[in-house]
Amino acid sequence: MTMLLIGLLLLLVAGTGTAVALSRRPLRQVMAMSANGVALALLFMALQAPDVAFAEIAVGAAALPLLFLVVLASVRMDRNPQGARNE
Amino acid sequence: MSPRPRPERRIAFAIRLRLALFALAGLCALGGALHVAGRMPAFGAHPLPYGDEINRRGVPERHVTNMVSAVNFDYRGFDTLGEEFMLLCAVTGVTVLLRGTRGEARSAQPGRVEGRPILPRSEATVLLSRVLAPLILMFGLYVALHAMTTPGGGFQGGVIAATGTLLFFAGDGYRGWRRLIRSGAMDACEGSGASLYALCGFASMALGLPFLENVLPLGTPGDLFSGGLMLVENAGVALAVGGGFVVLFIEFLEETRVEPPEEAPGDAPGHATGDAPDGARS
Repeated sequence: MTMLLIGLLLLLVAGTGTAVALSRRPLRQVMAMSANGVALALLFMALQAPDVAFAEIAVGAAALPLLFLVVLASVRMDRNPQGARNE
Repeated sequence: MSPRPRPERRIAFAIRLRLALFALAGLCALGGALHVAGRMPAFGAHPLPYGDEINRRGVPERHVTNMVSAVNFDYRGFDTLGEEFMLLCAVTGVTVLLRGTRGEARSAQPGRVEGRPILPRSEATVLLSRVLAPLILMFGLYVALHAMTTPGGGFQGGVIAATGTLLFFAGDGYRGWRRLIRSGAMDACEGSGASLYALCGFASMALGLPFLENVLPLGTPGDLFSGGLMLVENAGVALAVGGGFVVLFIEFLEETRVEPPEEAPGDAPGHATGDAPDGARS
């Protein structure tokens, strides 16, 4: 039963990880990375490593994707103050 | 003149060449990989003795029931010191880099984006985030405080609390979040947490003991305040990680704002209170 759960979670991690590598649009890639973080946290939980699961769910699923989203938003912005005012 | 098809053909050839090289390398590595995979220990088997030894000694020696914390803060406390200062260096580097290009003075006042529409938040969003944020902050505190008894610790608790503050951003907008979470206070949290950890080590040295050797009473195992000096180190880590992550969030999110115009200080604050929504998603 435990092995079945771990096997399913391993497949989930592999699936979401492949999605990160295959998605071409950065926004979708960030979402896939967040899903991968959640899957990894669940796997760590199933492998009885709750300390690592805590860190993974907070950093991998929330904090890191947020920073990537912010970077994407920043890249799309016109950094030139004059240009931004003209918009 | 035929410059057009040539680069395309060259690119197609390059892709085919790379795929062929990849297949060749894969074939070469396959034998070795299969050999290693066949001789790996069984899933879940841990042939090294350290884990069992720590589990056996942790409670009688360190009066701590969470062995991960015992390893992080005591048996391998020096490694955690290195990690703490690695985080401090990373956060400092990001802050210097981003604040440097924006100007030092700007970290005190949040910027805003002129062209971005101000979407009203639904009252449900505001209410939900205002109710949930304190709960998540409390959960972060709980995880950080119970480092010695249950899974979790300063790092995990600090990150949970730092991420929880972002709910204020979701509910009350960027300006509300920045008004609540002071950049200067978070800088101080980050620095003082890391130095608290280092000072724990020097406290042991001042008493003639090795660096980071426990000098406080260990308490009873399973008690919230067990573990002696590990508790102080854990508090330092929680402060440093929580403050460091919030500083990171502030510095990164400030990058999605444009500089307020020069006449901003004399500006009426009225039009700025309804804040632009999350820049990352609009």
